[in-house]
Amino acid sequence: MIKAKEMMNSKWLGPGMLLGLLAAMLALPLFSNDYVLIVLWNGMFYALLALGLNIIVGYCGLCDLGYAAKFAIGAYTTGILMKSFGWNFWLTLPMVVLVSLLAAILVGAPTLKLRSDYLAIVTLGFAEIVRITARNLDITGSASGLNAIARPELFGLRLTKSIHWYYVFLVLVILFVFISHRVRSSRFGRALAYIREDEDAARAMGVNTTRYKLYAYMIGAVLGGVTGSFFAVRMTAISPQSFDFTQSANILLAVILGGMGKIPGVIAGAVFFAVFPEIFRDVPFIGDARMLFFGILLVVVMIVRPQGFWPERKRGALK
Amino acid sequence: MSLMRIENLTMRFSGIVAVENLSFDIEEGSITSLIGPNGAGKTSAFNCMTGFYKATSGEILFDGKSLIGRKPHRITHMGIIRTFQNVRLFKNLTVLENVMSGAHSVSKQGVFGALLRHPAQRREEREILENAERLLDYVGILDKKDETAKNLSYGDQRRTEWARALAAKPRLLLLDEPAAGLNREEKDRLVELIRRFRKDFGITVFLIEHDMELVMKVSEKVIVINFGTKIAEGTPAEVQSNPLVIEAYLGMEEEA
Repeated sequence: MIKAKEMMNSKWLGPGMLLGLLAAMLALPLFSNDYVLIVLWNGMFYALLALGLNIIVGYCGLCDLGYAAKFAIGAYTTGILMKSFGWNFWLTLPMVVLVSLLAAILVGAPTLKLRSDYLAIVTLGFAEIVRITARNLDITGSASGLNAIARPELFGLRLTKSIHWYYVFLVLVILFVFISHRVRSSRFGRALAYIREDEDAARAMGVNTTRYKLYAYMIGAVLGGVTGSFFAVRMTAISPQSFDFTQSANILLAVILGGMGKIPGVIAGAVFFAVFPEIFRDVPFIGDARMLFFGILLVVVMIVRPQGFWPERKRGALK
Repeated sequence: MSLMRIENLTMRFSGIVAVENLSFDIEEGSITSLIGPNGAGKTSAFNCMTGFYKATSGEILFDGKSLIGRKPHRITHMGIIRTFQNVRLFKNLTVLENVMSGAHSVSKQGVFGALLRHPAQRREEREILENAERLLDYVGILDKKDETAKNLSYGDQRRTEWARALAAKPRLLLLDEPAAGLNREEKDRLVELIRRFRKDFGITVFLIEHDMELVMKVSEKVIVINFGTKIAEGTPAEVQSNPLVIEAYLGMEEEA
């Protein structure tokens, strides 16, 4: 009997909690002010980046130290096409996907044949190249970046308010979760996990490791690019500072903090990352030194729980 | 009929000769063993056959097609599957996911299949899953399918690895020291199991091993190498009475 009950729980608890959470997220703007919406938007923004990076780092076990570059490529592609060429925002998205894929192939194809340590160095370097290029070109607005990027319209509604962006990003989070989940529970996603666990054994099982690593890298790049492009129109201004190494490190930290590879953990890590400093903003004494405390907390978490927040859970049949 | 033919295989590592001019055949449907003392070049030969090393010279033919220069995953796709000396499971994945990995080379859905989940993709997933469960049942650990692989006992990890290899529906099964770490009783069962694999799945089995007793029990043909070169080939009885083998191999073991 107990076993049957447990099975019921494991079967319905997940979807039930998910629906509850979704309903709460949908209803939240009715009860909250702009500040809360902006903080949550920021959390969702990091969640998108973390979910994208999670495909590369969490699923495939590759070390990418330059995820900000993927996100910058998306933001600048959208910004330039809208500012210099007068494109509609929505039409820039296919272009962002294309440019992201090309950039991923450019960086990944020569590097992913090597062991994954090399990828860390190359992605780090590539991110710097992207940032410095953006700083020095006229078309990217050099150091001051691009500003006054037009707000897009959706079904005749111009997306200007915090509440609009809250919902747009909520939809994106749902989409990214959907993609992550489908990738993970498929032959393709399992192959990525095999590579992460033991590359030689994966090859012995017939996995073309070089090609699959590149695919993971490309998917991660596209998700980062799309996030960047929404970021550009949400902020209406982008500059090279938004894409420095700290940004890449933050996203990577969110993925590791939350528990690599697990979707709820990665989102929790990202939201925690974005929200934590805000919660303590107004607390006396801690408020001013909150980043210091945040840093200490990160160190403690890594020592106490190196596997991340989310408890390691056994996976059942992957259907 | 010869399923795999090794011709004048030589493997050198910056001056050190690991395998020299090695030639032998693996007959289709046979159980063939390559034995030799530690450091004789067994593992180097094995790694050349599976594409993990690139042979310095010589030829390896599988079903008439050359394996030289092919990547390990290509060789697996041709119907050759290997196990590892120290059991290389995907430790943090479940037993079931481990066995499902074997099906990679005999299934084909990619990124778009994963995202779209169209009927062909669903059917393939179901087949992979059902076949993995069937094989876990066959090796007797279906009840452990949802356990994390690293939590299994050594014996069950071995079983998982066999099920994983069988999931690839191989024509040739290459076992790298399958008796390593097993006790006498387990070794006897292994002999039974290898024979059953051949009978139930119609596969050819090739093993490298230094456990003389197991090899003599299970094999129809034995190739003995020492210092990278072949010193004897024949039935277990022939090989056992060969003075060169006794000197090189059995003599050493007695000393040890």
